[in-house]
Amino acid sequence: MVEKKKKGKISSELGKAIKGMFVGMSSLAVTKQMLKTRMYLENLFMLITIGDMLGIPILPPYYSLRLLPYAVPNIKTWKRRLFKERDVTDMLY
Amino acid sequence: MLSLKEFFEKNPGIKIIVNAGKGGLGKTTASAAMAYWFAKHGEKPLCFSTDPQASLSDIFEMDLFGKGIKEIMPNLFVVEIDADKRIAEFQEEIRNRIKTMYGIDEIPAEIDEYIKTSAYEPAMHESATYDAMADLVASGQFHPYVFDMPPFGHGVRMISMAMILDAWIDKMEETRRKAAEYSRMAEEIRGIAGGVEEKILSELREIRQKLDLFRDSLIDPEKCAFFMILIPERMAILDTERAIAMFDRLGMKMAGVIVNQVYPRELLDRPNLSEFLRRRIEMQQKYLKEIKDKFEEYIRAVVPMFDREPKGLDMIAKVAEHLFEKPGLEVFE
Repeated sequence: MVEKKKKGKISSELGKAIKGMFVGMSSLAVTKQMLKTRMYLENLFMLITIGDMLGIPILPPYYSLRLLPYAVPNIKTWKRRLFKERDVTDMLY
Repeated sequence: MLSLKEFFEKNPGIKIIVNAGKGGLGKTTASAAMAYWFAKHGEKPLCFSTDPQASLSDIFEMDLFGKGIKEIMPNLFVVEIDADKRIAEFQEEIRNRIKTMYGIDEIPAEIDEYIKTSAYEPAMHESATYDAMADLVASGQFHPYVFDMPPFGHGVRMISMAMILDAWIDKMEETRRKAAEYSRMAEEIRGIAGGVEEKILSELREIRQKLDLFRDSLIDPEKCAFFMILIPERMAILDTERAIAMFDRLGMKMAGVIVNQVYPRELLDRPNLSEFLRRRIEMQQKYLKEIKDKFEEYIRAVVPMFDREPKGLDMIAKVAEHLFEKPGLEVFE
């Protein structure tokens, strides 16, 4: 009994790994690209809403404030991304 | 020439009246007088002052600044926005929202700093005032709404602001929708949790709905009438010309101009008239001619110079009478 259960577990783990491998081979690039596009859109959104934080006033400040709560978790990484220096290796990713 | 009364008879759908013009020429007085006249004629007007200098309080001789909507005579409602107070309250609301949203007791220093400094942003007052106006119009409680534009350059800028804002919200909605789509797709493939897109989108839609309603009413010449208040002097004429040109650029039409502070021409017939007054009257006559040449189709009323300040309900009633019942257009004949 115990043996069988262990065997089942191993095969399901194996199945998962194989599945993961195929998913990775077939769609990793696509997913990555999507997430990257999403990140750019997110950057754009942050820039429009709270761009004045970096000295780029776009939206009237009254409405920037209204949308600020939603942007709170992203502010740190967003600033880091925008201020990051770029070099030619960035194009590889 | 269409008088002010005839104008409103011809345009019964007007629900917003905006008075613009240079500072000190009588925008607030004209707004108060118009609201007074509508209240006396069975409507329920709201006179709204966006002027940070609290002129409505002076005109009605009571403290209205930042006190909310007050009924100062049957059916005549008045509100004088205290933009600073409104902004401070709004900042506090945002702080509380962030605290409850993320379950924190203290706002991160960086974000708090941003909230604090936002009060000093150049456009903060304008956008807060604009939002207050949009809120009032959306409530639909009053008819008509009489707005008194603050004298920053052209009050007309507020209209273009609405349009710019609308375009930006369009863009933002688009990026949010696309972002939501991409994260949904990624989620389906790999199971990555989505963000707060729906909430942000609904917030954006709400702002937009309110502004659209307001903007649509503002740019619809059947719903909104813009008047320019001027006096027979060079600078006011130039200012009016610029405002009319700006309206043209925005594809809108000015409802009319109201000429204020005009000395009665009959004074010239008095033999003992002082040289000083004679010169002023002659100067005004010259500019009245120019006003006729330039704005003939726009002239709606001529309000005389009074022998005292137009303050208190009695004087406002007098101004209203001149605006609607005795428009004094004969000075242009």
